[in-house]
Amino acid sequence: MIIASSAAPPGARSVDAMAPPTSRAHRLLLPARQFGTVIGLVALCAVLWILTPHFLTVSNLLNVAEQTSINAIVAVGMTFVILSAGIDLSVGSIVAIAGVVLGTALQAGQPLVVALALGVATGFACGLANGALISWGGLPPFIVTLGTMSIARGAALLFTEGRPISGFDAGFRVLATGRAGFVPAPVIVMGIVYAAAHFVLTRTTFGRYVYAIGGNEEATRLSGVPVRFHKTMIYGVSGLMSATAAVILTARLNSAQPIAGMMYELDAIAATVIGGTSLMGGDGTLGGTLVGALIMGVLRNGLNLLGVSSFLQQIVIGGVIVVAVLLDTVLKRRNRT
Amino acid sequence: MKKALALILVVAAFSTCCNRGTTTTTTGRPTVAFVLKTLNHPFFVDMRRGAQEAADRLGVTLQVQAAEREIDVEKQMQIVENLIQTGVQALCITPSGSREIVSALVKARDAKVPIIVVDTRVDAKAAADAGVRTETFVGSDNYEGGRLAGEYLVKVTGGKARVGILEGIPGHETGDSRLRGFRDAVKATPGITIVASQPANWERDQGFNVFQNMLQAHSDIDSVFACSDLMALGALEAIAAAGRTGGIKVIGFDALDDAKKAIAAGTMEASVAQFPSEMGRAAVESAVKVIRSEPVPPDIKVRLELVTRHLLKPVSLLVTKIRRAGWRVRRSGEASTRRT
Repeated sequence: MIIASSAAPPGARSVDAMAPPTSRAHRLLLPARQFGTVIGLVALCAVLWILTPHFLTVSNLLNVAEQTSINAIVAVGMTFVILSAGIDLSVGSIVAIAGVVLGTALQAGQPLVVALALGVATGFACGLANGALISWGGLPPFIVTLGTMSIARGAALLFTEGRPISGFDAGFRVLATGRAGFVPAPVIVMGIVYAAAHFVLTRTTFGRYVYAIGGNEEATRLSGVPVRFHKTMIYGVSGLMSATAAVILTARLNSAQPIAGMMYELDAIAATVIGGTSLMGGDGTLGGTLVGALIMGVLRNGLNLLGVSSFLQQIVIGGVIVVAVLLDTVLKRRNRT
Repeated sequence: MKKALALILVVAAFSTCCNRGTTTTTTGRPTVAFVLKTLNHPFFVDMRRGAQEAADRLGVTLQVQAAEREIDVEKQMQIVENLIQTGVQALCITPSGSREIVSALVKARDAKVPIIVVDTRVDAKAAADAGVRTETFVGSDNYEGGRLAGEYLVKVTGGKARVGILEGIPGHETGDSRLRGFRDAVKATPGITIVASQPANWERDQGFNVFQNMLQAHSDIDSVFACSDLMALGALEAIAAAGRTGGIKVIGFDALDDAKKAIAAGTMEASVAQFPSEMGRAAVESAVKVIRSEPVPPDIKVRLELVTRHLLKPVSLLVTKIRRAGWRVRRSGEASTRRT
């Protein structure tokens, strides 16, 4: 829908754009679909507010935002990838390898800017490698990123001999421990990342092509769009986001671990999908992803506050993912008919 | 509309029954948080049991939380941050990473929550740099446990062995200390060669795979030291798969129930027993003392014991049971005689 309302390239046809002409019911249900996840988040917060006095305090909400930031940033890249009808399983491993490169550079006494650039470049390069293999190698994204997931993890372990790199100076750790007013630095980074990514996705040609490729790759290609180049860049963005998350994670733990970021791919996919992005591609928003990441963060925080057993927590989180996607699918089906 | 009303009622009912548990601070019952590495390991389940018993006895509320995976420091940090929000009066923690956890402890310090470290030590330098002070450390001496295992191996093999070692996660203080203890104990015996030493990351399936590979590369291995029983049990399976059950002496660490069964059956040689439930108990007791502003020693050692087949004979079992049930006597003298 977003596409139809803005200047879209000729090939851009999202799943929704192919739906039958707008009916009255459609127009009524559209907001429910757009805001479904927001309503879910608000409802969740309301329930937690009733259940525990510790939830709705400024310090706890900032706490949740800070904890969510890492997953939320990884999920930005995942949203780009899933919007283009792909998948990226390597994000967690890229977090690890970008982190250890950054950590090693810092411990070798490199200036902060150089170390950051090296870490981020590592992530970007891994993403570009994924993208190149997918678009020029013609391989399925699932297989390619499954492979790089293992390669990047192994490389991170090899590079560090399995040992964490710890102890950085305060100048770097400000990225996690610093505060602007009362807002923690990771939350500020998250805000900047979302603003920039949202701009790219909705206001640039590249952003429009992301939707177009996800909606109908063949039509996009036939319209003269360099699909291969753009697909490579999409995975590059994902790698870039993973590297950004790695910077915050490393600063937060004061340690770069080769085993960091395990299962982050699943958290990021969950946040994206809860946020209403279609796994079929071409349909979804970054705002939705942010809300999805917040739902997961609030849920984990709330269950901790309530003292729920960690086994039950996993069941609840899994349940929420399934229910969120179920609701989304039901609403979408209604939209079409 | 009806549905919405019903939902609100359910939530309200749920909240009243839940609040009974969480409003402890108003009734004056102190709350102690206990953050474990994980709960999918018998060791930590035992620790929780001991902690819970002590909490019930001392009249404190215990909040136990754990990450899903043992190595997930970031998740552990989130749990600590969240528990601080609930206003706990003391924090007992088994750090997933000796250095990484310091960032979380800084937050506890800022919230003025006293810290009791259990099982795995916090890196002293990292803690000092961050200005974190811990009240006490409760745990057994892993180095000493590794030595016990090494000395026993020297004894049963008559000083001639080709050893394969299964290590824990590299960089983990617990595993590193056990390894150092074991290596130091066998170092002086020239007949003992360590032919391979590989990490199996504390896990049973990895213990199986890694040891299977070791056997492929060095078919002459005749002894195994695994830094944890889960890895030792994995190695036992690999030995069985190779048809060499009983031909390779396996020494583990933790004395899990499965390992004790294997020792009694003669397929496993020995295991160093820790007493996690006693760690849990001592941790909660110390936490309560700290809350009451009573002094606690900086280091609380929990005993270690080498479990062998001899010890698992019916008579010895009976003796141990009586000991554990009744006489909680300090047995330092006895322990030192066994170690020599």
